[in-house]
Amino acid sequence: MKRASWRLVSFVSRALDSAERDAVLGDQAERGEGAARALGDVLGLVVRRQAALWMDWRPWMILVGLILPLAMLLSIAARMTGNASATYAWLYANNWDWALLKYAEFWYELRDSVWFLLQQFAPLACFSWTAGFVLGWASRRLIPVNGVLFSIALLAAGVFAAPRYITFWWEYVQRSLNLPPHPYQDDPVSAIGFYRLVFPVILLALAAGVPSLWGMRRAADLRTVRPLARAAVCIAAIVTLAALVIREPGVGFFLAAYRHPEIWRSWQLHALQFVVYWPPAYLIANAVGRRWRRIHA
Amino acid sequence: MLGEFEYLLLTAAARLDEDAYGAAIREEIESATRRSCSIGALYTTLDRLESKGFIKTWMGDATPQRGGRPKRMVRVTAKGSQAASEFYKAVVRVSRGVSWETSRVAVRS
Repeated sequence: MKRASWRLVSFVSRALDSAERDAVLGDQAERGEGAARALGDVLGLVVRRQAALWMDWRPWMILVGLILPLAMLLSIAARMTGNASATYAWLYANNWDWALLKYAEFWYELRDSVWFLLQQFAPLACFSWTAGFVLGWASRRLIPVNGVLFSIALLAAGVFAAPRYITFWWEYVQRSLNLPPHPYQDDPVSAIGFYRLVFPVILLALAAGVPSLWGMRRAADLRTVRPLARAAVCIAAIVTLAALVIREPGVGFFLAAYRHPEIWRSWQLHALQFVVYWPPAYLIANAVGRRWRRIHA
Repeated sequence: MLGEFEYLLLTAAARLDEDAYGAAIREEIESATRRSCSIGALYTTLDRLESKGFIKTWMGDATPQRGGRPKRMVRVTAKGSQAASEFYKAVVRVSRGVSWETSRVAVRS
């Protein structure tokens, strides 16, 4: 219990600058403070430090200009991915039969399903990681608070705003283009409460929440990256966020993209698709670089 | 004009002189005021005083009893001494003739 409390003190103190963390933890060690008092003290200092940062206009601009729009865009992307993948989840989870394993057709179908889901989830995870990375880089000293704010905004947008927005958008498109009814309306999958309410939240947390918080934590690494590589990372991040905006259904409709199908088949957009996958390449390059530096140090 | 806690901190740092650092200043304030002093208040006030040019801080040596972590050393600048002196004089002036001041003088005599 005592060790867990001290681990918590150490974890909370990570929100402080390294010099201040050393001074504070050193003071506590010297005074032989108990874990509970130490935790209260460190927490108090972290709250004061974070609150002081909000006296400036920049955190508010980041909140309005980055946190809220990115949370909304990601929750819409996650909801649309959720709608598409819920059918697959239902197909396998609710209709499972071990006898299926014997059939070659099942394995063929499974391979297709996995490929489809990978195509859905990989871009979403990369969008989320990039959003977190940009947010972390824009406000390095505010990462703990912005992490909490972003998670709350993502959850609120995912549960309340995104479903309403998608329904509104689909009805608007239907009316404008005389399209058939919503394909996910009244189908057997969304009739099940779990797939309609719980599954999208799980998906939002795993495919958008976790990668974005991870990206936020890795933003500090950018300091160690060389200027040229840093510029490449910035371009890749901007292109990825632009792709996230373009993917948002309302934007495409607003730009009347449906009237220009050739745009979606253009090589530029196909190239854009690959740029979106920059986070794994960056993580691998970063890990290799660190290992190389350790070996040659 | 200094705040009350700023004055306490400057006075404690001045009294400790070369031994003035976070934990020692905290100890000094707590024993003088008989009230608990939070690390949050101490370190944010140190920053504020440093930005006003009243103190200078730097990271000192690490010691084994601190788990190998360095101290944040504090030195009161001339500007800080002047500000503390002005605060003290103001408190003395404003307290002249009030009941707790006269009773204190009476008890002493």
